[in-house]
This record gives sequence, structure tokens and C-alpha cells, in this order.
Amino acid sequence: MAMQRYDAVIVGSGACGGWAAMQLAQAGFKVALLEAGSQIVPYKEFRHRWPYELPFRGAGQPGLLRKYFPGATEFNYRIMIDDRDNPYTTPPDQPFRWIRSRVLGGRTLHWSRASDRMSDLEFKAASRDGYGEDWPIAYGDIARYYDRVERLIGVSAAAANLPQFPDGVFLPPMPLNCSETIFQAACGKLGLACTPRRVAQLTRMWNNRPPCHYCGNCINGCDVGAMFNSIAVTLPPALKTGNVTLLCDSVASHVLMNDENRACGIRYIERFTQRRVEIGGKIVILAGSSLENTRLLLNSDKGGLANSSGVLGQYLMDQVGGAGVTGFLPPLKGTRIRNDDGKLGGLYIPNFSNLGPRSGSGKFIRGYSMSASGGAAQFPMFAPGLPGFGSAYKKEVKRLYPAHARVWLSGGEMLARKENFVELDPVERDKWGIPVLKIHCTHCDNDRAIYRAFFDRATEIFRAAGGEIFHSAPSMSVPGALIHEVGTSRMGADPKTSVLNSFCQTHDIPNLFVFGGGCFVSTGDKHPTLTMMALTARGCDYLIDRARKGELA
Amino acid sequence: MTRRDAAWAIVRAAAVAGAPEFLNAWMRHDETSAAPPEPDRWTNYEPKFFSAEEMKALDAFTAILIPTDETPGAREAHVVPFIDFVVAAAAEYEPELQDEWRQAMRRLHDYHFNQFSPADQLATVERMSHHEDDGNVAYELIKEMTVHAFYTSRIGLIDVLEYKGNAYLTEFPGCNHSEHHQI
Repeated sequence: MAMQRYDAVIVGSGACGGWAAMQLAQAGFKVALLEAGSQIVPYKEFRHRWPYELPFRGAGQPGLLRKYFPGATEFNYRIMIDDRDNPYTTPPDQPFRWIRSRVLGGRTLHWSRASDRMSDLEFKAASRDGYGEDWPIAYGDIARYYDRVERLIGVSAAAANLPQFPDGVFLPPMPLNCSETIFQAACGKLGLACTPRRVAQLTRMWNNRPPCHYCGNCINGCDVGAMFNSIAVTLPPALKTGNVTLLCDSVASHVLMNDENRACGIRYIERFTQRRVEIGGKIVILAGSSLENTRLLLNSDKGGLANSSGVLGQYLMDQVGGAGVTGFLPPLKGTRIRNDDGKLGGLYIPNFSNLGPRSGSGKFIRGYSMSASGGAAQFPMFAPGLPGFGSAYKKEVKRLYPAHARVWLSGGEMLARKENFVELDPVERDKWGIPVLKIHCTHCDNDRAIYRAFFDRATEIFRAAGGEIFHSAPSMSVPGALIHEVGTSRMGADPKTSVLNSFCQTHDIPNLFVFGGGCFVSTGDKHPTLTMMALTARGCDYLIDRARKGELA
Repeated sequence: MTRRDAAWAIVRAAAVAGAPEFLNAWMRHDETSAAPPEPDRWTNYEPKFFSAEEMKALDAFTAILIPTDETPGAREAHVVPFIDFVVAAAAEYEPELQDEWRQAMRRLHDYHFNQFSPADQLATVERMSHHEDDGNVAYELIKEMTVHAFYTSRIGLIDVLEYKGNAYLTEFPGCNHSEHHQI
């Protein structure tokens, strides 16, 4: 039987795969969209649930989530993946946490929605401090794609007029709650700029999607599509064109190549039947997350496909994260309980380190951004650690409940280092027989210095807010825990030192594109998703133009 | 109703399975909590892990930790049956949790906790709450689980803490206190 042949085969339906499917389908391309997980029906699956409605009140069966669904809760683990089916390995002394989803929409279903633009201070940091490489693009190359993405997905934010934190196309910001207002005053006292966290959550009706109703269930899946996710925003217009064939429960294993050094399709395994299937595509797009894309390339050819540079798999990064500073804000103790956690946004404190023309003279290079919030949450996190018992304890919990607050590290730049890399594990296979990744990742001194600087500065902000610090000790999280893993197929102008060009096209194979965080040259201090999507939009513009000129054949 | 409101209502009503229940819940964003009742899992609950003696000791212990006073406490929130349910379910993925509870229960047994008067039970819990006490490991284990069980119950979360989230709001109520803008 002749192989089905599409104009493009896209692997992955998350932020980038969903966008690419939409843009190519709207341009008239016949697209096959592969998703390793299942299609869920959000309006059935995502409801406002209460801890006491769940068998284990949110914690899950003892041991289950901690061992097999790290990063998940009982509310959302069904849209994450089971590590038993999808293992990965690390050297014993280099823990890495790889938090993934296999479901239509991928991690957009439960992401933290933070939508920040990177600036030239990040894209061109190497020129300023001499470490690593500049990106092959500047802010000016990507600004209009940020505009395009923001216009579609809807980002609620306030303009900040800061060079390190470029403004965009914004819906009205969400109001600050009491604790955030107090932290805002504290930042003012310290001369730090701050702004409501920029989130892809609607504050008014937008593109036929209803505004946020402030239930606070974002990370469990939005029941109305008021936050950006693929299934509410990019996939409906993609499917409406009639040009998209959606293939769920299809686990991609290989990029297929023809004799003319062109990608010609994807081999995948049907998730439930284990049947192997091949589909053809004139263009192949990998958008299954930074590391899954790299894994596919490594598995598709000896030594890795599109790896003439030899850098495929190298320069793995997450962002620097770890324990924040928590405690209580005295003005809020004993106040009437308000709805504090309905919007889950927080106050954002953009990076203020190393902004000068020649940075790197201090204790570390690059920067970090922080967030602050507090108030009555769905569980009083401080209560188990509060000493005492009895009526006095109960009253103290109630008194402190609205005053609980924290300052946390939104993301610190983790330096790109060649020795942080992924490879195929020589032995271990996943449930479908595909070799798994062995991930090698450690922090370097600069990463640790950034965390330390954050902790000291967060302590200072907390004190400036008049806060009483409670149970706070510095502790870095293991790499991967921020779920901002990027790199391993970096972009660059030189094919000898990079896998992709600035359009996310592989240098080696003109009709093979890789969208996602893999192309990142550095992490910057922003959340990566908006940049990944803008680069996808830019790459798709280029792809469509070149395909029409016949240059990708 | 403005055009925008109407469009919004239609989008939501059409999109959501069980639209009447949805809209009903949505309308009730007043001072009464729209939190649904807690499913009754405990009225005829048969303990799966703890013995009758251990259930009795835990009942007294947790009622000292979170007593019934002006507001409901651990007893009304069915903390002990919930703990039994969780510890029993630990067999599969975290059997070491069961060992910890067995040791804690042995400790209470050795103290003859069930034979004490309420005043002596209170004194025992007080003594165990000190870090240097032999019973502190048991105390911390029971307290952590009790606090989790209590504040995740409807009684703990809604009746005692008066949690206001997980609601449907048309606008988020931002801070309107001038004193919070200046510190």
C-alpha cells in the first residue's frame, strides 16, 4: 500500500506543534499532526474540584506521584506522564527531573502561563560579558512575531518600559491582591521595578474565548479555555481549515530519510497496538519538546540525524530555581479572608542584574527574575510546620492564613555548557521499545551564585515588606525542576557549531525543522514558552515562503 | 444584558457539559460558599489498617491536636478514618509509611495512652511535642497527617479557614486598602 503523503508532518501538539499546525494549515498545507498521547475532552475532564472530593485530598496514593509522576498532583497527574512507561536515565550523582505530558495540547494544558519577551540583553549577552555565544537573531528580528503570538493567545499585562523586559500587545493586567500590593510597595522602597506577572490568561473576551473566571485551577486544566493552551486556541482554527489530519496515540520513533538527503516522513508506533506505521511528508517538523525532538534525531540515524556539527544533544539547560523565602506579612494577620488565589499570577520583579554595557564584573554574570505573592491558599502550607497544637494552634493557623506570603525565583539564567548533554541510553527502552535519553546535567558556580544572589535579595524584599520569615533555608532545585529545559539543538549562523539556523531549520537537511526550546542558545531569565512560539511563527513564515519557491524539495 | 455578556453566556453554556449545574454554581458567588458538600465516605467506614484500640487512641490524640472549640475540629472532619484510608493505601507504593505508623502506634500503646484520663492524655501529647522526647517522632507523624487531613476536609477548609477561592468571579477582587500601598 502506498504511504500516505502530506505536505508536512508535525510531531507534537503543544505550544509549538499546535502553532505550526495552525499556521501551515491556514496557508493551505495538508498537515498530519502526530501526538503521542490521547485526546481529552476538556469540558469533561477539567472541572473545579475540591481536595475533599479526591480520594487522597490532592496528594495522591502515598508514594505514587513522588515516584512516578514527579511534579504532578492528584488534580492533574492524568495529564502528565507515567515515568514507568517513559523512563529516562541519569548518572547516579546527577539527578535531573524531566516533567512531561503526553496528551493533545501537551504541557500547554497545565503550564504556568507566564509570557515574557526576551530582550537583546539576553540574545546578545555573550557580546557583553564574553561568555558563550550570541543568538543569531536580535530582538528586532523576533519582535513582530511576539506581537503576532500575543495577539492570538491574549496576554494580560501592564507595560513596564524596561529595556530588559520588552513590552508587547497586552490585555488589561489582573489586579494585585493584598500581599502583592505590599510587596509592590517594598520593591518601591528598594528601587526595584515590578509589575503584575504577565500571563496568557484573558482579562476580557478575546478571539471568541471567555475571560478568566478566577477559579485558580489553571495548572489542573482550564475548563473554559480562558488561558492559552493548544486545544482552545491554536488547534480549533487549525482543524477548521480541513487541512489537518490529527493522529493521536501515535508515538514517533524515527524521522525517515530518502536517498537525496531529504526527510520524507515519520515512523511512529500506535500507542495501544504497538503497530509500526510510516507516513510521508514533504516537510518534517519536530515539535515534541526540546528533549523529545533531540531524542528523535538521535534515534533516527547513527550518531544523530542533522548532526554534522556534532553538537546535537549538547548545551542542555534548565533555569536556576530553588526554595524561595516564605513567611508572614504582619498587616494581613487576622484580616478577613479574601479570595487571594483566584488568579494565580503574582507580582513579577524583572531582572535587574548585569544590565550595563559591560556586565560581568560582579559575583556572577547574567541575571534572574523573581515573583512574589501570598494570601489565603487552598491549603495553609505553613500549618504542618507551625509549632504547637490545640485551640491556640488552630486560632494561630487562622490568624496567619491570610498573611502567608512568599518570594520565589521565577527563573535564573543557567549557563549553556557543552558538558551538560543528552545521549541515547545504550540499554534502557521505553514501553514502545524506543531508546530513552540519558541526561547529564549539573549546575556550575555561576548558577549557584545566581541562586545565592536571589535568596539574599528575596530576603531583603521580604524584610522591606515588613515580613516575618518562617522556615526558609536556601536550597537549589535539581536541574529540570523548573520545566524550562532548553538547548540540545542550538541555533547559530555557523553549521559547524550549531544544529539549526535562526529559522529552526536544520543546517543539514533543508526540509527538516525543529521547533521548541531546543534551539535556545542561552536560557535568559524569562519563561521560555512565548519565545519558543514566536520563533515557531517566524520559522513557519520562512518555511511557507521557501516551500512555495520550491526550495525545500 | 449587554451583547458581550450575552455572547459570553452563550459560549459558556454551550461549551460546558452539564450547563445548568455550571451556571447555577456560577451565580452563587456571594458570601455563601459554593463549595459542594463533602462526599460521605466515613459514616460506615470500616478501618483497614488500624485496630480498634489504635483508632480509639488516634481519635483522642487528634482531637487534642485539633479540638472542637468554637469551630469544628478533627472529630467532625473525620480525620482518623481518612488517615486509616491513606495509610492502608500506602501498601502499594510507600510501604515504609505503614512501618512509621506501626511504630507510632506501638509508642502510644506502650504509653498506655488509652488508659489515661483526658488530662493525662493532654499532658502526654504536650510532652511528646518536645523535640527531645522519645515520642516526638510519633507526635510529628500524627500531627502532620492530622493537619493535612483537617485542612483538606470541607469542614477545615470552608467552615474553619473560610477559604474563598475555587469560585466563579466576573472580576478579581484586587487589594483596595490604601495602607497596603505604602509600607
